[in-house]
Amino acid sequence: MKRITLAFLMLSSFSFGQSLEELKGDELFGGLSARHIGPALMSGRVSDVTGHPTDNKVIYVGTAGGGVWKSSDGGVHFNSIFDDYCQSIGTVTIDPNDPDKTIWVGTGEVWTRNSTSVGNGIYKSTDGGQNWKHMGLANSDRISSIQVHPENSSVIYAGVQGALWGDSEERGVYKSTDGGVTWENILYVNKGTGCSELVMDPSNPNVLYASFWEHRRTAWSFSSGGENSALYKSTDGGKTWNKIHRGFPSGKLGRIAVAVAPSNSSILYAVVEAEDASKSGMYRSEDGGANWKHLNADFGLVVRPFYFSRIVVHPTNPDFVVKAGLFGSVSRDGGNTFKSLGAMHPDIHDIWFDIKDPDKMFVGTDGGLYRSLNSGETMEIIENLPLSQFYHVAVDNQTPYNIYGGLQDNGSWYGPSSSPGGVEARDWEVIGVGDGFRVYPHPTQPHIMYSEMQGAETVWRYDAKARQTKTITPSPVEGDPKLRFNWNAAMTTSPNVPDRLYMGSQFVHVSDDRGDTWKKISPDLTTNDPEKQNQANSGGLSTDNSGAENHCTIFTIAESPKNQNVIWVGTDDGNVQITKDGGKTWENRTAALIEAGLPANTWCYHIEASVFGERIAYAVFDGHTKNDGGTYAYKTEDYGKTWKSIVTEEIVGFARSFQEDYENPNLLFLGTEFGLYVSITGGKNWMKFENNMPATAVHYMEMHPETNDLVMGTHGRGIIIIDDITPLRQLTTEMVASKLAFIDMKPFEMNEESTFGGTSTETQFVGANPSQGARIAYYLSKRHTFGKMTMSVQDMDGNFVAPLTPGKKKGLNFVTWNFNTTAPKMAAGRTFAAGGFFAPRVKAGKYKIVIVKGKDTYETVIEVTYPKNTVFTLQEREAQHKTTRELYSMNEELAYMVYEIDEYIEHANSTKKSNPKLSKSADKLINELNELKKTLVITTGDNYVGRAENQLREDLAEIYSTIGGNYGAPTKSQLATVELMKNRLNEAKEKMDSIRSGTMKKYDTSLTKAELSSPKLKTFEEYVEK
Amino acid sequence: MKKVLFATLLLFATGSSFAQTDTLEMILDTYFENIGGREALSAVEGYKMTAEMDFQGMTIPIDQYTMKDGRSMTSVSVMGMDMKQDVFDGETLWGTSQMTMQPEKADAETTENKKRSIGDFPDPFLNMEENGFSAEYVGIETADGTECFKVKLTMKPQLVDGEEKDNIMYYYFDTENFVPLVAKQEVMEGPAAGQMMLTTYSDYQEVDGIYFPFSLKFSGESGEGQTLVIKEIELNPELEEGFFAFPDVEEEEEEEGEE
Repeated sequence: MKRITLAFLMLSSFSFGQSLEELKGDELFGGLSARHIGPALMSGRVSDVTGHPTDNKVIYVGTAGGGVWKSSDGGVHFNSIFDDYCQSIGTVTIDPNDPDKTIWVGTGEVWTRNSTSVGNGIYKSTDGGQNWKHMGLANSDRISSIQVHPENSSVIYAGVQGALWGDSEERGVYKSTDGGVTWENILYVNKGTGCSELVMDPSNPNVLYASFWEHRRTAWSFSSGGENSALYKSTDGGKTWNKIHRGFPSGKLGRIAVAVAPSNSSILYAVVEAEDASKSGMYRSEDGGANWKHLNADFGLVVRPFYFSRIVVHPTNPDFVVKAGLFGSVSRDGGNTFKSLGAMHPDIHDIWFDIKDPDKMFVGTDGGLYRSLNSGETMEIIENLPLSQFYHVAVDNQTPYNIYGGLQDNGSWYGPSSSPGGVEARDWEVIGVGDGFRVYPHPTQPHIMYSEMQGAETVWRYDAKARQTKTITPSPVEGDPKLRFNWNAAMTTSPNVPDRLYMGSQFVHVSDDRGDTWKKISPDLTTNDPEKQNQANSGGLSTDNSGAENHCTIFTIAESPKNQNVIWVGTDDGNVQITKDGGKTWENRTAALIEAGLPANTWCYHIEASVFGERIAYAVFDGHTKNDGGTYAYKTEDYGKTWKSIVTEEIVGFARSFQEDYENPNLLFLGTEFGLYVSITGGKNWMKFENNMPATAVHYMEMHPETNDLVMGTHGRGIIIIDDITPLRQLTTEMVASKLAFIDMKPFEMNEESTFGGTSTETQFVGANPSQGARIAYYLSKRHTFGKMTMSVQDMDGNFVAPLTPGKKKGLNFVTWNFNTTAPKMAAGRTFAAGGFFAPRVKAGKYKIVIVKGKDTYETVIEVTYPKNTVFTLQEREAQHKTTRELYSMNEELAYMVYEIDEYIEHANSTKKSNPKLSKSADKLINELNELKKTLVITTGDNYVGRAENQLREDLAEIYSTIGGNYGAPTKSQLATVELMKNRLNEAKEKMDSIRSGTMKKYDTSLTKAELSSPKLKTFEEYVEK
Repeated sequence: MKKVLFATLLLFATGSSFAQTDTLEMILDTYFENIGGREALSAVEGYKMTAEMDFQGMTIPIDQYTMKDGRSMTSVSVMGMDMKQDVFDGETLWGTSQMTMQPEKADAETTENKKRSIGDFPDPFLNMEENGFSAEYVGIETADGTECFKVKLTMKPQLVDGEEKDNIMYYYFDTENFVPLVAKQEVMEGPAAGQMMLTTYSDYQEVDGIYFPFSLKFSGESGEGQTLVIKEIELNPELEEGFFAFPDVEEEEEEEGEE
């Protein structure tokens, strides 16, 4: 055994020293975890819905930016099952041969709006979604469909729509015959045309239908359709393919949706986007696609084919067909006539019929997942899918602070960072309609806030006290050209002048009176390239001029917190410009960035004007709209004359957002399309942050200056917060080299808010609150695995106050102390005395935190304060504390008395059995003690409605926890009750004394005579020891 | 020497040329050797753990009995009331109602699942074949900031609403000393179904030649949870006949009445 122990120690004594640059994220971040506050009330875009082929309780939901969610209870609760991977989902497919376990996910949403994200290949789970493996097609960008052979799980077909923003060769239909290990491209058209839908005949797996779509987006245009869009059919498992267009319109085609009726595979439906708009819409074939008949070109059938190309046919009725669309269209006559689906959030993308009860259906929309129990007549939303797609976030200076932001197709909102019971749907206020983007509170008067809708069509100033709005959109004046605002128009407030508001068109507009009066302070700062300004002709076969492709616009404006005259501007066409005189003159810094490695015309997504000096700024660029997925982030320290890349190879994905720390210039945060990266070395190396942080697109970040929380607006997982990043700020090489190092934390304020909680029901999402206690932080250079490790709170004299459970991870550990001491030792009874569970809070002041790890002891001191916002004086608190301690002691005195009684009763009972001669004195003692005990604690009944009348213990516990649970002085009535308790306890003590000096003494004497010993009682101190 | 050995093992574990089953065998062999040996573990018939759990400022004393044949009891003492939970005598699974303080039997499915879990004592990896369990080496992953071998353990299926569901646990063995740091299991029923429950092991200490974790933290993936701190482990405790049996309620009440 000794040998084993020794071997252990040797193995465990690994060297400690690691430098900051060597640390990996999962070794450093430890217990530092993100929390999600959603919200889910407006949810977000659902791109694909599918269900288990035989178990209708299992449903999978693929989303535009929030990954994959699974329900195992028929859609009541959902769990995210794809957190670590690309969150943009094209399709989810269940292997029909192994439906409980084998699930396929094709990444990359196929509803190709301007703000859609990108995919990175195909994934497989063989355990129902617990673990995933990447199975190739890494450059597919978007996978529209996956079909698994119903008798052979090794044979899989994948429809690859391919790149949206450029040419790509990884497109078309792919087939694997080895379970996804290798893939063969079995149908390819060209670099600009991909497979937008691949359908398998449910009755014959050799029959496949593949729709091909020629399409392309640029940052300033969209084109759907061309000579190469087509619908193909194969009858030999994909070896050969033929176009099946008989009955389709001639000329160029756009996107084509196709579906086979599950109950009759001769019947097919197709929705065709045609050059001749009158020929667009619903087609039906009754001979497996050999001939098609045009049935309907209603608005619902032809609207925005790039966004709504999904047809779903009822599982048993081939004439019941549903088409995705603005409102969704449903036909019960084989596609001849349609009506809209029931009222719900517009923009319907997918439908799933319950296989056992087809009256029940799930519908995926831009505003989450809906359920119908009557074939789509009426709909109800699933309230626990926090998929909200924020474009931007801002915070205010209230306590708790509020978070402001706008969402894709879901307006503008603000809500609290914490709320009693958690952040609920009811906590959020809507302050803008349409698509929401940037929302800002007035820096010093947060009831005033600014919001906007797409393309700055409307900019609002909202007064939350009066609940009144005023439209303050900057508008053209004499001599102005047409103002070009981005879809996500630049807006910001000033860190120096509270009433200042900036908007960016191609010009910088500034108002110093909250938007009432606007002044242009720049020339056109973009490239003003006329080729990129033909949005009226955008869309391809179906014109689509929504404003989403507005280009050559200002996208980001940043006023230096150090100097209000230094203003940075970044444009969507790749310009970076600076003024140092409040807009009188501007200098274009784009050439310097290109020299530093930035490709020309790369979208400037964000500029962060540093708090460390007006010369310093960071700029982040996103090239994905040029089909460039590279990461671009630069720093300048000379007003942009020169730039240096801060990107290293650890980072994956194009970046949109950046945040610097306000105190440690080496602590940086970078948000990419695949999650959050942190550098503690000024950008020399980066670590991915994955603790409860999914690989979701981080569109914007803000750090709260008071709480030091990092607040992220994600485009698919709502608001995600990392509370108080102070520990990251303090990490040094010395710290990570020491065995255990405490992090200095600012004083902890006790939370005295009501704990009544919220009003959400079981099926509603509730966002997590931050830790309400003292969050003690330390760094462990090695995980504690062997031997004891304990942690406690002590007063400054070293007296024990409360036990804590230490964290033992390698890296940062967080232990929360709720400011409580320990509960009193309570008298034993027949029932619970609820008040006896109460542990009193400590007074404000300094406390020691002590960790004992093996032979080593580590200590730090923390400070605890009363809340600033309080109605109680120190004197009142002192009175409360004093009375609570008195009652605490009374509880323990009573407990000890009952302990003595119980010990004697037990002893006397046992004496009776072993020495019948002593029965008389034993019985007398037992009777007297039981008589007394009945008045001290409840000795009959139960813990619920069968409970007996309260006795002293129960009454004492109640007044103790009532006074202890208050923050101010006890009321006069309460003090009177305390006096009553004191009297009752004293009476009990007197009775006990009388028993001790009478019957008990006689019993003891009789024991001595019989050469027996009296009960051995613990001392009071031993008895109450915690 | 040990470090060299470790490095070699790690190389095997990460290299593709080394079969996964061999890696699993190496992990489990080293694990059992390090914690005291398969033989010593096989000799354990049962144990009593004396433990504590902190509950909102109150330290709750907990006694837990676990026997090789599946019998078990968790006994909690609060304000003079002894409550028993997860008590199983091989046939009947029961616990104390917190409302009436009377024993109540568990539902048939929970009892059946308890029977199906027999075999995981004292270590589910010990007699896997005999118990119908299987394990598979998955790969290297980080748990608790530490590089670990991830091993998938499949035990007997559990029943959920009448349907059999796979009963899978993922164990994370520290690549340095081969003891499990974390085990993860999917919650199978209720509103949390589909979420992962974690058990985090630490404070390994020796008891009669065998190492046991003396700290077990139960939590969700977010990290918040409850920690069971073990004060003492007694191997092969002597227990009275009928210790785990469902009590005869009427008799007990009569006895009390007599007092």
